[in-house]
Amino acid sequence: MNLLRLALRNLRREWRLPELRTLAGSLLLAVLATGMVATLAARVERGILASAAELIGGDIGISAPQTVPAAFADEARRDGLAIAHAAGFPSVAFANGHSQLLDVEATDDAYPLRGKLVLADAGGRQRNAHGPATGTVYLDHRALVALSLRPGDTLQLGGKELRIAAELVQQPDGGSLVALAPRALMSLADAGQAGLLGTGSRAQHRLLLAGAPDAVQRWRAWAERQTLPQGAELITPEQTQERMRTAFDRAGAFLHLTALLAALLAGVAIALSAQRYARRKTPEVALLRALGTPRRRVLGLLLLTLAALALPTALVGGLLTLGAAQLAWHFASTLFGGIPTELPLLPALGAAAMGLAVLAGFALPPLLRLAEVAPVAVFRQSLARRMRRFDALYLLPVLVALALIWSQSGSLQLAGILAASLAGVALVAALLAALLLWIARYVAPGAHPALRLGLAALARRRGLSVVQATALALGLTALLLLSVVAPALLDGWRRELPIDTPNWFALNLQDEQRDSFAQTLARIGADQLNMMPLAVGKLTAINGRPMDSLHFADPRAKEWADRQLRLSWADTLPPANRVIAGQWFAASPAQAQVSVDRMWRDMFGLKLGDTMSFDVGEGHVDARIASFRQVDWSSFRVNFFLLLDPAHAGALPHTWLASFHLTPGHAQAMAQLSRNYANLSLVDVDDLLARIRQIVDRVGDAVRWILAFSLLAGALVLAASLAASAAERRHEAALLRTLGARRAQLRVAAACEFALLGLIAGLTAVLGSAGAGLWLGHAVFHIDNFVPPLAPLMLGALGCAFVVMLLGLAGTRKVARTSPMRLLREG
Amino acid sequence: MSDTPRLVLDVRDVSKSVHGPEGRLDILDGVGLQVEEGESFAIVGASGSGKTTLLGLLAGLDTPSAGSIRLAGHALESMDEEARADLRRRLVGFVFQSFHLLPALSAEENVMLPLELEGDAQARDKARAALEAVGLAARRRHYPAQLSGGEQQRVAIARAFVHAPRLLFADEPTGNLDQRTGHHVTDLLFALNRNHRTTLVLVTHDAQLAARCGRHIELQEGRVVAEARA
Repeated sequence: MNLLRLALRNLRREWRLPELRTLAGSLLLAVLATGMVATLAARVERGILASAAELIGGDIGISAPQTVPAAFADEARRDGLAIAHAAGFPSVAFANGHSQLLDVEATDDAYPLRGKLVLADAGGRQRNAHGPATGTVYLDHRALVALSLRPGDTLQLGGKELRIAAELVQQPDGGSLVALAPRALMSLADAGQAGLLGTGSRAQHRLLLAGAPDAVQRWRAWAERQTLPQGAELITPEQTQERMRTAFDRAGAFLHLTALLAALLAGVAIALSAQRYARRKTPEVALLRALGTPRRRVLGLLLLTLAALALPTALVGGLLTLGAAQLAWHFASTLFGGIPTELPLLPALGAAAMGLAVLAGFALPPLLRLAEVAPVAVFRQSLARRMRRFDALYLLPVLVALALIWSQSGSLQLAGILAASLAGVALVAALLAALLLWIARYVAPGAHPALRLGLAALARRRGLSVVQATALALGLTALLLLSVVAPALLDGWRRELPIDTPNWFALNLQDEQRDSFAQTLARIGADQLNMMPLAVGKLTAINGRPMDSLHFADPRAKEWADRQLRLSWADTLPPANRVIAGQWFAASPAQAQVSVDRMWRDMFGLKLGDTMSFDVGEGHVDARIASFRQVDWSSFRVNFFLLLDPAHAGALPHTWLASFHLTPGHAQAMAQLSRNYANLSLVDVDDLLARIRQIVDRVGDAVRWILAFSLLAGALVLAASLAASAAERRHEAALLRTLGARRAQLRVAAACEFALLGLIAGLTAVLGSAGAGLWLGHAVFHIDNFVPPLAPLMLGALGCAFVVMLLGLAGTRKVARTSPMRLLREG
Repeated sequence: MSDTPRLVLDVRDVSKSVHGPEGRLDILDGVGLQVEEGESFAIVGASGSGKTTLLGLLAGLDTPSAGSIRLAGHALESMDEEARADLRRRLVGFVFQSFHLLPALSAEENVMLPLELEGDAQARDKARAALEAVGLAARRRHYPAQLSGGEQQRVAIARAFVHAPRLLFADEPTGNLDQRTGHHVTDLLFALNRNHRTTLVLVTHDAQLAARCGRHIELQEGRVVAEARA
C-alpha cells in the first residue's frame, strides 16, 4: 500500500492518543509564539524608526558640507521617493537696531517630509505647516524676544529683508537636546540668493527622502554603494536617536526572550510526547519488523505520520499568527499610527518553519530510535531497548535548542546567558533527582510507608524520574523567567525613567542668573534641578602633538577634532557614569586632569596619563587623563564625553546647563520664564520621554501577549511530563491493588512522589531563573542594581510544586481506579 | 461469618457478562463451586472459556453480574473495591503467568511489597526467609532483568507466600516456562501449599498440572462442564 496513505490512515486512528494531541498543541504554540514576536518586533521596530523619522524630517537622507550631488536625488525620484532639501548654518540677523546670531535652517516647501513643523500666529494659535515661502521667515520665541520682534514684523537676514510669517514652535530637529543659538527657518531659495549657501559658507546641506519602506531600503542600498562626497554622511533613523535606539534594543531583547522561552517550552513538551509515543509504538514496530517490514519502510511510515500531523498544524499555526498579529497591530496602532499594516506573511511563514524545526529537533530522536527496534522484541519487550551509554542522536534537540536560541535572541550575549542557564538548570535538576534517588535507597527502608512507596515509585522509574524532574525544572524556569523575572526587569527599566525624570533643559544660563533662576523654578513648582557648567572649546593637541599632525584609524576622530566640544566639570562622579579605569579626581590635583568617555578612548586610542590640550575661549588647559568612564547615554541626564577637574576648569569661560522636572500644565509660566530670561534656550523633552515610556508599556503589553502562549506551553510540558509515566503508573497501580493496596495508600504515595518531583523542579527553577535574571539584568538589559524578586520566585516555585502535586494526584485518581483485572488480562 | 468453616470459597450461580460493540456477551453463566481449606483446585479449559474471568471474580478483583461468592466467609458482592482490597491484602496471594515483578526493585524488595502494604516492621527478615524457602537466598539483591524466567517465577511465588495467605491464586504459573523449569515451579507451589496449609486455586490449560491438584473443574463457554477428583 502507498506509504503516504498508510501514514494518513495511521494518523486518523492514532489522533485520539493524548501524546499526539500534546505534540500538535505544542507545535501550534511554538509557531504562534515565535510568529507573534516576529511580527510584533517588526512592528515595534518600524514604529520606532518612524518616530526617529519624525525627528529628522524624513525616512533617510544625506548630510554634506556642500550641495548634495544631484545623482542622489535623481535615484530617489526613480525609486518614487518624496524629496526635500534643507541647509543649516549660523547667521546674524538685524532688526530694530539689535543683532542676534541665529541657528538658521533654510528649506524648500516640501520640508518636512516626516514629523511636524508647528507654527503659532500673533494670537498664539498653532498650526502645522511646511517650509516658508520666499520672502518670509519663521523665528522661534527666543529669537523674537532677543530682537524685540513679533510675527508680521520684518528683519534683515543675509542681506535680505524678510517678513516674519509666524513663530516657530516645533520642528523636526534630529532630537538634539542642545541648540546653542535661537532658531530661524527661511526659504532655501532666499538663502541661495543671499549667498548664504555658496562656497566658503558653513552651511550643512541635507537631502531628505521619504516613501514606502521597500523603496527607502532600495535607495539606501544604492547610496551605500556610492562614494559619498567629502565629509558627507547618510542620515539614518537608527543613528538619529541614541536614546530611542537603546529603548528599541531592549524592547527587541525582551520580545525575543519571551518567544524563545515559549518555543523552548514547546520543544520540551514535544520531546516528552514523542518519547511517550515511541514507547507506545514499540510493540507495534516490533511486530511490523517481525512480520518482515524493512527498517527503512518503518522509518518512512513513522516520519510520514509525523509529517502528516505537523504540516497542517504548522499551517494552522501560521494562519492563527496572521490573525493574532492583525489583532495585536490593531491594539498597537495608537502608538505607531500611520504605518501600513500589510499582512506579515514572511514572519508567519518563518514561524511555521521554526515550529517544524523545533518539532524535528525534539521529536525525531525517539522516533528514529524506534525504527531500530529489533524484531525479537516481539517476544521479549526487554530487548526493545538497547542499552547505550551515549546516544549521539540525543544531541539533536540540544543543537536545535542552541540554534533556536542563537537565531531568535538576536544577541550573542542573550543567547549565551540563556543557553548556559538552561543547561545549568537541566544539569542541576538531573543531579538533584539522581541524588534523591540515591538517598532514597538508604532512607526508604526506615521511612513512613507512604513516603517509602512514593520514593520506591520514583526509584522504579529511575530514568523517567530524572527526565521528568529535568523537564519540569526547565519548564518552571522558563515560566518563572517569563512571569516573575521579565516583569521585574520591565519594572527596573521603568524605574530608570521615574515620573520626576528631568523633562526640561535650560541652556546658556549665566553665573549671575543661577540663583534667581533657581528661585523662579521653585516658585513654579519645578524640582530635580541640577546645574552643570558648560564650556565650549576645541581639542588642540594630544601629548603635545597638534591635532593636524595626528592620524587616527577611526574616521569619527577627525570630525570630533574639527568640532566645537562641550566640556564640563564636577567634583563628584555624576550619576549614570562609572569609572572603568584610573581614579576619579582627587580634591586639588597639581596638574589639570580630565576624565574621558570610553567611546573617546577607543576613537582616539587614548591611555591613562596622556595629556589632552583644549582651547576654551581665551583660556587654555593641558589636562592629564586621570580616568575613563562608561556613560549611560540612555539616561535622561546631562552627560559629557569630557569632564575636567573643577580646581583647574572653574576659571574657564562658561555658561550653565540646567535640567529640571516640571509637571505638564505650566505653559504660561514657562513662556513668562522665557521672556524673563531671554538669553536662555529652553528645551522640552517630555515628548521624547513619553515615547520611551510608551515603548516600555508596549513591550509590557507584547510580553503579556506572549506570556499567555508561554503559560499554555508550560501547562503542556506539565501534562506531557506527568503523562510520560502514566502507563507504568497504571500497571503498578494494578499490581499494588491486586496485592491489596488501599486507594488512600496509592494516593499518599503519589502525593509524596509528585511533591518530591515538584520540589526538585521548583528549587532548581528558582535558582535557575534568579541566576539567569540577575545575569540578564546586568549584562543584557543594563539595569543597575537589578535584583530578581526572590520572594515571588520562591512563592512561584512552591506554587508550582503544589500544582505538580495536585495534578499528579488528579492523575492518580484515574490510576487508582485501574481495575486489578488488568494484570490477569495482560497474562 | 462463615456458616461452613472449612469452606474457603463458596461460589453460587455466578454469571458475568459484558457489553461490547456487538451487544451483550456472556462470559460466565451459572457457575457454582466450593473449595475447602488447604485444598488444591484447578480450573481448566480452552482459551476464551472464561477461566481467567472466573479467577478474577474468585480473588475479588472483579464483581459478578449475578450470583454470590464467599471468600473465607466474606460475601464479595456486598463489599466495595476498598474492602475487597483489604481482604486480598490479608488473605490472598497471587502468581501470574508473566510474573509481574517490578523491574526497578531487587528480588528482596519485590517480595517485601505485600508486607510493606500492611506496614509490617519485619518485612525484610520475612522476605529473606521467603526467598530462602524458594532457594534464591543468594540472589536476593538481583534485579528481575538479571534473573531467568524460572527464577523470576520463584521470586513471584516467594512474594505470594511471604505474608502467609490463606488462599493462593495462580494464573497459568508455568505458561511462560519450559517444561523442566515448569516442573520445578509446580513442585515448589505444591510443597508450599502443603507446608503452609494454603489453599491453592490455579488456572491452567495443562492437563498434567491440573491432574496434580486434588480436584479440578473444566469450563466450556462459561459453564462448568466437568468436575473431577485426583
